[in-house]
Amino acid sequence: MASSRNPIAGQAAIVGIGHTVQGELPGRSVEENAVDAALLALADAGLSVDDLDGLIGCKSVQGQGNDVTVGQLLGRNLPYVQSLDYGTCNFSLHLAVMAIVSGLASTILLTYGANARTAKFDFGKPMYGADMASAAGLVHISGRAGLALQRHKALYGTTDEQFGMLAVGQRQWAQKNPNAIFRTPMTMADYLAEPYMVEPLRRSDVTMISDGGVAVVVTTAERARNLPQQPVYVSGIAEHAGVRGEHNPENLMRPWLKDSAKAIWSTTGLTPADMDAVYIQDPTAVWSLQMLEYYGFCGLGEGGPFLAEGHTLPGGDLPLNTHGGQLSESYTWGWMHMVEAVRQLRGQAGERQLADPKVALYASSHGFLKAAASVLSTEESVAA
Amino acid sequence: MSGDLSPVDDPVAGPFFAGILEGRFTAQRCNSCEALRWPPLSGCPDCHSRSTTWVEVAPTGTIWSFVVYHRAFQASLKEEIPYTVAMVELDDGPYVVGRLVPGDKPPAVGDRVVAELGEFGGVPSVRWRTA
Repeated sequence: MASSRNPIAGQAAIVGIGHTVQGELPGRSVEENAVDAALLALADAGLSVDDLDGLIGCKSVQGQGNDVTVGQLLGRNLPYVQSLDYGTCNFSLHLAVMAIVSGLASTILLTYGANARTAKFDFGKPMYGADMASAAGLVHISGRAGLALQRHKALYGTTDEQFGMLAVGQRQWAQKNPNAIFRTPMTMADYLAEPYMVEPLRRSDVTMISDGGVAVVVTTAERARNLPQQPVYVSGIAEHAGVRGEHNPENLMRPWLKDSAKAIWSTTGLTPADMDAVYIQDPTAVWSLQMLEYYGFCGLGEGGPFLAEGHTLPGGDLPLNTHGGQLSESYTWGWMHMVEAVRQLRGQAGERQLADPKVALYASSHGFLKAAASVLSTEESVAA
Repeated sequence: MSGDLSPVDDPVAGPFFAGILEGRFTAQRCNSCEALRWPPLSGCPDCHSRSTTWVEVAPTGTIWSFVVYHRAFQASLKEEIPYTVAMVELDDGPYVVGRLVPGDKPPAVGDRVVAELGEFGGVPSVRWRTA
């Protein structure tokens, strides 16, 4: 039900999900991967491309795969098309909801394609241009994420074994997921025996790079009721930017995540305890540690002991990234997190299916600049 | 290091590199609100004045955090691994990142450091030594 506090609640729903094989797809462009996924998502929704009146393209890390290049292959002149930057899956969902609530469009396709693996994208190259940090060798996401983790360890006494519960736990979930790329069992001893890549981070603490396309169809609650799949409603959305960037004190800790967290709970009237599962976009495990704390699943600085207690593992009371996330399932920058949340809420997650989940948090960030969160639910109206 | 990782052509940061070559460690100070800022920006994010003076800052601070690279993500870094990069909180306020020269014992968050100015790998910059 819409209210002044949460005017988007239950007005839009995810009705279709689709993705290609995640892995190596040589010779296929970002757009081809996006469109392959799009056709699967439309089929899942029981819709065709002619039912669409909106398209949102989320750019790849190379800046490809936007609304006009994907739109050209889809071949329809639509009323509403938009592009968002790399790493903005959650923001793309928000944009779709806003377009639906405002009446700009009613049935919107969201796409993302990646071919960074076989295209051999250089992740060691400074993304925002050369600066003194890159000249000092502070390159690749693991450098800045490692600085944040080292600080966390020094402030709160977080240990490698506690932090390693993220990588080990994601692998446990991935073993139950036939789509996952890394399914070889990994014990804590295996994890701790792995050498540091950028100390204090090991290889398993950082995303893999894979190719693949992912797409989602979002429509009105009204239309969703007449489509074949159980609708997954968007019950709340929140964002907060940290665009002062390095001019924020301690920006590597991404303190503005707590503003997005505060907004999602106050907007929905829900609390962390109401969540049956949580999905955190995790290019590094440090992001999961930070967001578990900022979103209030444990206290600030208490992420280490919280993880060690096993809450986020299969069988735990806070299932985290039940597909294996970017550490073990695939790369696609949070898109497969959204697909998995939908699968779980529909009851279609196979061996890893949770017991009747009703509501999930999807939290993400765009590097060191922006935060976003969504609450997804099987119910049009989620009671606090 | 040079090529893709070299920032010396950046017009906004240029005076910093020129200062290093003259033996001065400098940061921008806003002429309107007097905020010190690093990294360099073409205007003040607090008061939006574009009027800036490069002023000398104390070359001392504490390690806010550090990482040790065991993998070279650029070919130009291959000969240097393992190397340490520290984020240092200057006594004057801003955070400045740079290479940390290994001391007698492993670095720790909170260690006092002093900036050494020079051309390192072809780039005028600072590197940190534990005090």
